[in-house]
Amino acid sequence: MHKIAEVEIQHDIMLANKKLAKRNQRILDKSDVFAVDVLGAIGSGKTSLIESLIKKMNVKIGVIAGDVISKFDANRFEQYEVPVVGLNTGKECHLDAHLVEHALEDLPLEKIDLLFIENVGNLICPVDFDLGSHIRMVVVSVSEGDDTVEKHPLIFKDADLVVINKVDIAEAVDADDEKMVSDARMLNPDAIVIKSSLKTGKGVDEIINVIENFMNK
Amino acid sequence: MHELSMADAMVKTILEAAEKNQAEKILEVTIEIGKLTMLNPDQLIFLLEVLTEDTLLEDSEIHIEEIPVEIECKSCDYKGLTNLDDSDHYLIIVKCPQCGERDLKVTAGRECNVKNIKIEKSD
Repeated sequence: MHKIAEVEIQHDIMLANKKLAKRNQRILDKSDVFAVDVLGAIGSGKTSLIESLIKKMNVKIGVIAGDVISKFDANRFEQYEVPVVGLNTGKECHLDAHLVEHALEDLPLEKIDLLFIENVGNLICPVDFDLGSHIRMVVVSVSEGDDTVEKHPLIFKDADLVVINKVDIAEAVDADDEKMVSDARMLNPDAIVIKSSLKTGKGVDEIINVIENFMNK
Repeated sequence: MHELSMADAMVKTILEAAEKNQAEKILEVTIEIGKLTMLNPDQLIFLLEVLTEDTLLEDSEIHIEEIPVEIECKSCDYKGLTNLDDSDHYLIIVKCPQCGERDLKVTAGRECNVKNIKIEKSD
């Protein structure tokens, strides 16, 4: 004889990642490392911004460079002689806490004050996955279109710092950078929003100040 | 396309529970997805079907229930459901339905739960 039974499971699939993210943050805190999750679309300027920060900041920096298959970004950071781990997600469109946990094992955390975790270029998938970082910085460039912020509300809702990048070419690409700033502020009144151009250096000092303030909190 | 890794994690969770309960067949599965997760239910069902070939889950009925969005307003202390307007999806996270303020915390709607399964087993 067969019988039919109902089995309650109530298992949150996201929970495993959240738990690992918390563990990552404990590992970082133990070594006094402040971590910034750097998010943004392909070509928004994430890698270039991290390069500018490495050059200008007076703290010991490390980088986890996430990419789908290549090591191009990791190679770019290596020339600055900072500790770098390149993470390839393979088929995945985002980093997760498990991948970051392994990257942390490969970094000399005692030699790092500030760790940038460069996520895969994507404004959608990384939203659901905490990594254990202390703040989230989202980089969006004017060349993506000035409606990009309002079209991707969740990633901006979760951001601590929003960088509207490449404002030097706003006119050329017919984008209203002020609209992008006000969209970000509307979606997330708590976030700090900064306009930048890595070409001219605009906004970089401001970004550094904000990150340093978060580090000292 | 992180539906694939999520579907994979779901299948593992379900098969584990089925095995623990000596299931011979899984008839139905209920999954709850928060409205604010970046998961597409149709893609998820497709991937679950692919991943469950030749397992106890093959041919089981998959139900997906949506978890509505709840918020806590920092301005007026409203706690509860938001007014959902599918035509303007993102407004649900930026405005309190009571006072219209935007400073709020999302308290539900980002989950992805394997809720329950219906199994067939020997007496």
